[in-house]
Order: sequence, then C-alpha cells, then structure tokens
Amino acid sequence: MDKIKVEICVGTTCFILGASELQELERFLPEGLRDKVDITGATCLGMCKDDNYGQAPFVRVGNRIVSNASISSVIEQIEEQLKHR
Amino acid sequence: MISNDTYVEIEYYQKTKTGEDVCGDDFKTVSLEDESRYIAVLSDGLGSGIKASLLANMTTAMALKFATRDMEILQSSEIIMDSLPVCEVRKISYATFSIVDILASGKVRITEMDNPEFIHLRGHEEIHHEKLKQVSSNWPDRELQLSNFEVMPEDRIIFFSDGVSQAGLGNKPHKFGWKREGCLEYALQCINNQPQISARTLSRAIVTQACGMNPQCRCIDDITCAVVYFRKPRRLRLLTGPPFKKDNDSEYANYVVNFEGRTIICGGTTAQILARELNREIKTHLFMRNNGLPPTSEMEGVSMITEGILTLTEVARCMENTVPQQEMAPAVKDMINMFMESDVIEFIVGTKVNEAHQDPSLPVDLEIRRNIIKKIKNLLETLYRKKVFMKYI
Repeated sequence: MDKIKVEICVGTTCFILGASELQELERFLPEGLRDKVDITGATCLGMCKDDNYGQAPFVRVGNRIVSNASISSVIEQIEEQLKHR
Repeated sequence: MISNDTYVEIEYYQKTKTGEDVCGDDFKTVSLEDESRYIAVLSDGLGSGIKASLLANMTTAMALKFATRDMEILQSSEIIMDSLPVCEVRKISYATFSIVDILASGKVRITEMDNPEFIHLRGHEEIHHEKLKQVSSNWPDRELQLSNFEVMPEDRIIFFSDGVSQAGLGNKPHKFGWKREGCLEYALQCINNQPQISARTLSRAIVTQACGMNPQCRCIDDITCAVVYFRKPRRLRLLTGPPFKKDNDSEYANYVVNFEGRTIICGGTTAQILARELNREIKTHLFMRNNGLPPTSEMEGVSMITEGILTLTEVARCMENTVPQQEMAPAVKDMINMFMESDVIEFIVGTKVNEAHQDPSLPVDLEIRRNIIKKIKNLLETLYRKKVFMKYI
C-alpha cells in the first residue's frame, strides 16, 4: 500500500503560526502510523493567500488540506484517511 | 590596464599584540565611485596599545583625506608628521604608513614611509619597481618611497606592518624574523595551492602564519596584512519575492538559468514559482535545526534556498550588529558567507506583496521585502564595499 504523503508548509506565515512545532510531527506519531506516512516539508503550499482555505499553518495530508493544523489534528486526518482505505 | 570586468578586491586582516585591548596598527580604505578610484592606507603606530592605536588612526584618517583630495604627497606627509602627538616616554611622534592609490585605468601609486616594502605579484612572479625617494627638510630621517606602475588583471598587491616581517624574531628557525622574503614565499605557496585565492583568505592566511611563528603563537607585536587582488568578479544573484505580474514568472526564471555565478532563492512562493517554471524539484530539509528560523531547501542549479522575510530580516540584523558567526542560525551564516565571498551581488526582487503577511493578528511584525533588501544592499555597500545592483520585477 502506498504511503500517505504529509507535506508541512514551512513558508513564512505557516512557520510563525505554528509550523515550527509541526516540524516535530514525526516524533509524535503513534508507532503504528510511522511506516504508513511519508513526511516532507514544502517551501509554500500557497494556501495563506486564499481566504477559502482558513487559517495557517497548513499541512497537506494526501490530497486534503488541514488548516489551522496542530500535531493532533494532522494525526487525526492521517487516521481518518487510513480508515477509508 | 584593467578592464571593466575586473573587480578590485581589497581586504585586510589583523591580530592585536597579546595582552593589549586595541590594535596599534590601523587600516582604512575608501572607494570613490564617481572617479572609479580606490585608496587604502595602512599605518603602524609607535609602540602598542591605545597610544599606538591613536597614532595609527590619526595617520590613516589624515592620509586617506589628503590622498582623496589629491594633495601633494610631501606636504601631506609633513602635516601628518607635524600633527602626531609626541610620546611622553620616547619624546618622538611616529607612525609608519603605506598609501595605495588605485585608478580604474589600472594605474597604481604607492607611497611608503617605514613600513616593510609592498609586494607586487603577477601570477607566481614578483614584479620589482624602481622607487623615487623624497625627503622633507623638516623630517630628514623619514624617507618617502614612491612607486608608480600599472597592474594587469589577476595581479596582487600585498602590504603589511612589521608584525608580519618580524614574526618569530629571536626564535628558531627565524631568529631574525620571518622577513619580507618569508612572507613572499608563503604568499606564493598559497597562490600555488589555490590560484584564485581571494584577498580576504590570503590576508588571513599570512597573518595567521606570521602569528604561528611566535612561541605559543603569541603575538609579539600587532600584525596586519592587506591584500589587493584585481580579480574577475565573483557574482551572486539573489531572487526574492514573486513578480508583481504573473506574466513575468518565466522572465523571472531566466534569471536563474544562464547565469555565471551563485544563486540564492529566498521565499517559499518564490521557490515554488521557479521550480514550476524550470521544472525542477525542491527538497526541503524539514528536520534541519535552524535556530528558530524555517528550514532551508535545495534545488538543482541553485546554491541555496531559504524562507523569505524572517531569514532576510535576521541576515540584516546580524550584519548590522556584527553578530559573531557562532551565534548565527546556519542559514544566516551561510548566506552572509556567500555575500562575503562575492564581489558583485544582484538582487532580483519580486514586488508582489503577500497579503497574509500584513494580517495584524500575526504574532510577529513582518517587514516589507523591498525595505529589508534595501537595508541589506546598503550594509553590503557601506560595510563590505560590495558592488550591489537591484532590479524590481
């Protein structure tokens, strides 16, 4: 099964609104999820320029955007997508 | 004759005599843009410490002013020698000087008073010059030595205080000091190992080597060495900010390709635009620790990719306050080092404003990109004598 791609935006807005902590996501992932995701950084996902997406920081999990992302909301989204596989 | 494509790199390095708080040698340089002329002055004040520093500083300040105003050299020297305060202990007023005056045409005029003789190198060969001697009737024992010659691209001029030539004095293997010949031999060795060695690196290497000649590497005197290198300019191009009009994205990307030099990209969106236009992949070093700044990324054909505003603001802060390198975030240190190792720096600034950055509820103030770049440009020109160009797109 393909891994779920998790892209953490580390652009200016995302970084100052919490992406600095999201960089640590891998350390907080439950054991069972670690080999199911591929975590990378993105220089900018471009979401902060569009009001429709909500508040930074943004993380893209698979093809879904998580706005106002926190480590727990990202983990929730990963688990949610795994359920539907 | 030096061409328009020759950059005059003037750098120096110095070490203060062990146990003293201030250096008794002084070096000053100025570039007169309208005349395309550079003047550099090195002076060694009598003794060491604050007294010597004062004599050396007064001498360089005056010499630089007089040379800039094209004042007659004998008269200038007399004024300098007459103005220096007399040492209470030695009952004399004294500071040496070397004035190196460079015209864009390649003409060089050097005036020396009691410093070790300068070295002119063309590749691996030393070029000797006949010197005209002049003596002021008021100061018969202070002989001025004047040299006039032309330089070619890739030439180097090395001049130093006697802290270099007398290094190791009284100790084996240089009981009579390293001497000018020792310094010359070492400089040639450095150039042999690294033919393009910069003035910055060479001056540092000579001073460090001289210092190492002394027992326990203690400086027995103030040590200063300056190097002028007529080099092919090292170019750096920094792109930051998305173009104001999206139609200009492809033109923007052209600034990355077909460029002979190093390229830096600052800004997440900027990097995305360029990756898209150039069809290249970006890899972000997510787990890299960057002292509270966003991580850097990499892309083929680009020397460095960083986040924009926060990183540039920190670069400006560190340059302005001369923050020690060990206290800088890695990305900031790398960028400043790249600036230092470049002669001509171009900023290509996209002026589109990211509205999200202007949100008053953000926890930090984000500066406007144009303003930070203007500030960095100014610092590079005034503090580091870099040639800086800026283009808005």
